[in-house]
Amino acid sequence: MNWKRRERDLDSELRAHLEMAATDARARGESADAARLAALREFGNRDLVKETTRDIWGRNPFHGMGSDIRAGLRTFRKNPSFAAIVTLTLALGIGANTAIFSLVDAVMLRSLPVSHPEQLVQVTMGAGADEMTNPIWEQLRDRQDVFSGLLAYNAPRFNLAQGGEAHYVRGSWVSGQYFSTLGVSPAAGRTLVAADDVRGCAATAVLGYDFWQRQYGGAPGALSQSISLDGHPFQILGVAARGFTGIDVGNSVDVFVPVCAEPVMHGTASQLDQRLSWWLKVVGRPKPGVDAQRAVARLKILAPAVFAATIPASLLPDRQREYAADTFEIKPAAGGISELRVQVQQSLKILMAVVCLLLMIACANVANLLLARAANRQKEIAVRMAVGAGRWRLIRQLLVESALLAAAGAALGILFAQWGSRLLVGLLSSAGQQVFLDLTMDARVLGFTVGVSALAAILFGLAPAWRATRVEPQAAMKANGRGVAEGQSRFGAGKALVSAQVAVSLVLVVGAALMLTTFWNLLALNPGFERDHVLIIRTDLRNARFPVSRLEQSFDEMRARLTAIPGVRSASFSSQTPVNTGGQNAMIQVDGFQPKQRRDSMVMLNFTSPGFFATLGTPLLAGRDFDARDASGSGRVAVINETAARKYFSSLDVLGRSFRMGFPAANQLVQVVGLAKDAKYRSLREDPRPIAYLPSAQDSDIHPFINFELRAAGPAANLAPAVKEAMAQVNPQIALEFRTLEAQVAESLARERLMATLSGFFGGLALLLATVGLYGVISHNMARRRNEIGIRMALGADRSRVLLMALGDVAMVVGLGLAAGLGASLAVTKYVASFLYGVTATDTRTLVSAAVLFAAVAAIAGYLPARRASLVDPMVALREE
Amino acid sequence: MKSRYQNRIELLQGTLDMLILQTLQWGPQHGYGIGNAIRANSGELLKVETGSLYPALHRLEKQGWVKSEWKLTETGQRAKYYRLTPAGKKQLLTEHSRWTQLTQAIAGIMSPAPTNPLDEM
Repeated sequence: MNWKRRERDLDSELRAHLEMAATDARARGESADAARLAALREFGNRDLVKETTRDIWGRNPFHGMGSDIRAGLRTFRKNPSFAAIVTLTLALGIGANTAIFSLVDAVMLRSLPVSHPEQLVQVTMGAGADEMTNPIWEQLRDRQDVFSGLLAYNAPRFNLAQGGEAHYVRGSWVSGQYFSTLGVSPAAGRTLVAADDVRGCAATAVLGYDFWQRQYGGAPGALSQSISLDGHPFQILGVAARGFTGIDVGNSVDVFVPVCAEPVMHGTASQLDQRLSWWLKVVGRPKPGVDAQRAVARLKILAPAVFAATIPASLLPDRQREYAADTFEIKPAAGGISELRVQVQQSLKILMAVVCLLLMIACANVANLLLARAANRQKEIAVRMAVGAGRWRLIRQLLVESALLAAAGAALGILFAQWGSRLLVGLLSSAGQQVFLDLTMDARVLGFTVGVSALAAILFGLAPAWRATRVEPQAAMKANGRGVAEGQSRFGAGKALVSAQVAVSLVLVVGAALMLTTFWNLLALNPGFERDHVLIIRTDLRNARFPVSRLEQSFDEMRARLTAIPGVRSASFSSQTPVNTGGQNAMIQVDGFQPKQRRDSMVMLNFTSPGFFATLGTPLLAGRDFDARDASGSGRVAVINETAARKYFSSLDVLGRSFRMGFPAANQLVQVVGLAKDAKYRSLREDPRPIAYLPSAQDSDIHPFINFELRAAGPAANLAPAVKEAMAQVNPQIALEFRTLEAQVAESLARERLMATLSGFFGGLALLLATVGLYGVISHNMARRRNEIGIRMALGADRSRVLLMALGDVAMVVGLGLAAGLGASLAVTKYVASFLYGVTATDTRTLVSAAVLFAAVAAIAGYLPARRASLVDPMVALREE
Repeated sequence: MKSRYQNRIELLQGTLDMLILQTLQWGPQHGYGIGNAIRANSGELLKVETGSLYPALHRLEKQGWVKSEWKLTETGQRAKYYRLTPAGKKQLLTEHSRWTQLTQAIAGIMSPAPTNPLDEM
C-alpha cells in the first residue's frame, strides 16, 4: 500500500473542498479573506476529518512516526542531561561490543581480500603439521592434478639495514603461482609469475602496497630500484594490490620474494634441498568441480610417491619408514592462516562475553532511568490517554524515544569503537610482534552494531513503556503524581533491575580481580633472574662472513669490547635468552635415574659464555661459572639448575657428578661443575624445568646468530649507541637488534596484560554503572516517599530510624544482588581458569574482597540519598501536598 | 473522544451511504458537490458534516461501490470526482428497498391505523 500517496491525495481532496467552498462564498459577494474563513469554519476540524477518513483505510503501523520522532527529540531537548547520560551509557556498552566484535571479525571471521576466498584450502601434513619441506613442496607441486593453482609461502623477516642496528620488515617467500592462485593483481609493475620461481633464479621482489606507500611514498620510481634484504640486493618488479597483506592474518607482508631466491640470501645454508627443514605452508584452489573430499582423496593417493622421493637419508631406518608413511590433509583457508587466531581466540571469546554482560548492565541502567522518568511522566501519559491516545500508540511513542536513544548511543558507540579497537590492537602488539589488522568497518560489524543497538532498545525500552502506559487515567490524575501509600516498600521493577545489575557487575568485578591477581602474581614472582638493567643484543653475523672456525673467537672478541664499554658491569653471550620464544633441548642419561617416559630425560639447554650468570643475576648456589678452562678440546662440563639436580641426582650435592648426553655430539660424558638457582626458561608461567647450561666454547653446532647480554650500571637502553660503535669496530656488517630484558619479560606477558587491562577496565565500568543505577533508584524512591517520611517524622520517628529504613532498602537490593552474583561467579569463572596463575577460579579471598568492595561502594551510593531523605523537614514535606 | 465520534457515524452510516449513492446517480460529483446536493435536495434540512462525508466516500470506494478520479471543475479547479460503479448501482437498489421497508415499518408504528377507541377505555 502506498500510504504516502494516499495521504497526499486526501490532503488535496480536502484542500479542493475548501477552495470550492471559498469560491462559492466569494461568488456570494464576500471578501476573499472572509470567504476563506467561512469555508474553514464550515469545514470543521480538518485533522479530525483526516484522522477518521484514514481509519477507513485500515491502520498504517508507521503512521505518525515522523511526529513521534519529533516529539521524542523535543523531550530530549527539554531534558538534555537525561538524554546525554543515557546516550553515554549506551555508547559505552555498544562501543565496547563493537570494538571487541570488530577484532573478532578481523581475526576470526573475515575472508582474505582475494578472489573467491571461500574456494581456498590449506594442504597440511597428515599429522596436521602446517609446514612442509621444499623437496616435498616441489614434488607435490609437480605431481598434483586437482588444484587449478597451488602455492607455497613462508613469512620470515628481512633486515633492510646493511649492518648496524637492524631494521626488520615482514617478508614472505612465495612460490611462482602465489599471486595467480590467489587472483591478486599488481597495483604497479607486475607480480611474480611461475617463470620467476625456477631454481637459480634472479633475486626479485614485489612490494606490499602499504610498504610501498610508507617507504617510497608510492613513487613509481621504486620499480626501477632494488631493495636490500639481509644485505642482498633484490630487484623490485612491482607492487601487490592495495589491501592485500598476505595470507597470514595479523601479519602484514612488506616484501614478497620468490622461494627460488632463498639461496641468494642463505648461500650454502639454503633450505631448498634440505629434507628436514620444515618451513613452507601450502595453499591451493581446487579445480572447478573438484570438492574438498575428492581433492584430499587424490592427495592421499599421490602422497606415497611424494614422500618416497624425498626421504631424508640422515634419518634412522624406522624413522624413515615413519616418514614415508606420512600423508596429506586439507582444511579450509578462506579466512587465511593465523597464529594470532589460535593465540587470541579464547581471549576474544571471553572478552566478547564480558562486553555483552556490560551492555546488559548499561541497558538495566537505562531501563531504570526510563522507569523513573515514566513515573514522573505518569500525569502526562494519563492526560494523553484521557484525550484519546491509544495504549499502543503511547507505547510506540515511548519505544520511538528508546530507539532514538539507542541510535544516538550506537553512533557515539561506533566512534568509541573506532578508537577502542585500535587501542586493542596496540595492546596485542609488542616490539617483537607487531599486529596488523584491517579494522575498517565492514557490513558484518555494522550489522552487528545495528542489531545489538536494536536489541538494547527493546531490552531497556519495552518494560518501562509497558509499565508507564498501564495507568488508569482518573486515578493517575487524581493522585496528582504521588500518594501516601505509594511508597510502601514493595520490591518494584526498579529494585529488581538494580539487584540483577549488582549480580552481573559482581561477576565482572570478580573476573577482573582474578585477571589482575594473575598479572600481579606473574609480575611479582621471582623468575630466577634480575630483569632490571639488562640489555639484550640479538645479532646476525651472516653478512660479516666470519669463517665458522673463527666464530667462537669473534664472539669472545665482541664480548671483550662490550665489557670495556663504560657503564657495563658485565657482559656475556648465550644461545638462549629468558622468556623468549624458542629453545633447545636434549636427552640425557644419568646413572641411577630411570625415566618413566621419554620426556623425563629431556633437559632444556643454553650454551653460555663465562659471565652469563652474573649478567643475568641468576645465583650460582654451588660450584663455578664457566671460564677459559672450558675450551672446545677439554673435558665437557655443565652447570645444572636445582630442578635438574633434584630430578636426576635426588640431591643438590651434584658437583663432580656426571651425565651422558647425545647432543651436540653423540654419547658424551658431561661433568657437573656448578649448581644454578632455578630460572624461568620459556615463559614466566612454566613450572621449574630441568635446565643444563653448557659452555658456548664446547658447542659444536655454532650458528652466526648469537645473543649478547649486558648488565648496566644505569638504564640499560642507554648503552645501545656505545654497543653499535663497539660492534662496528669488530665488523660493520653485523646486524644488531636491541631489547631490554625488562621489555622482553613484559612482552611475554602481553596476553595477561591485555586481559588484566580490559577486564579491569570493564569491571570498573560495570561497578560504576551499577553504583550509578543504585544511587538513581534509591534517590528516586526516597523522593517519592518524601511525603510518607514527613508523616513518619511528624508522628515521632527520629532521623536515625528513617535512615535505617532507607539503608535497609539498599541492603536488601545489594544483598540479593551480591548473593546472586557470588553464585553466578562460582558458576562461570571456570571458563577463565586457563588464564589464571597463582590463583584459583573460585578463590575465596578474591570472591569475598570483590563482594566487600561492592558492598562498600554500594553503601556510599545508598547512604547519600538515604541521608538526604532523613534530613527532610516534616513541615516542608507535608506542606507540598 | 474518537470513539464517541465513531458512534455518531455508525448511527448515520446506512442512511448517509445511501444518500451519497443516490446523489451520484445523476453523474460524477466531488465531495463538496455531494454535500451541497444533499443539502439542497433536502430543502436545507440535512447538513452533511465533512467529518462524516469523507469517511463515507472513502468507505464506499473501498467497498467498490464508487470510483474516483481527479478532474477539473467548470471553474477550472482540480477536484476528486466520485462515480457510481455497477456494483454501486446494485447496492443503491438494495438499500433503497430496505429503506422503504424500514420507513413503512416505522411509519406503521408512529402513525398506527385508527383502532376502536372503546378498547382503551
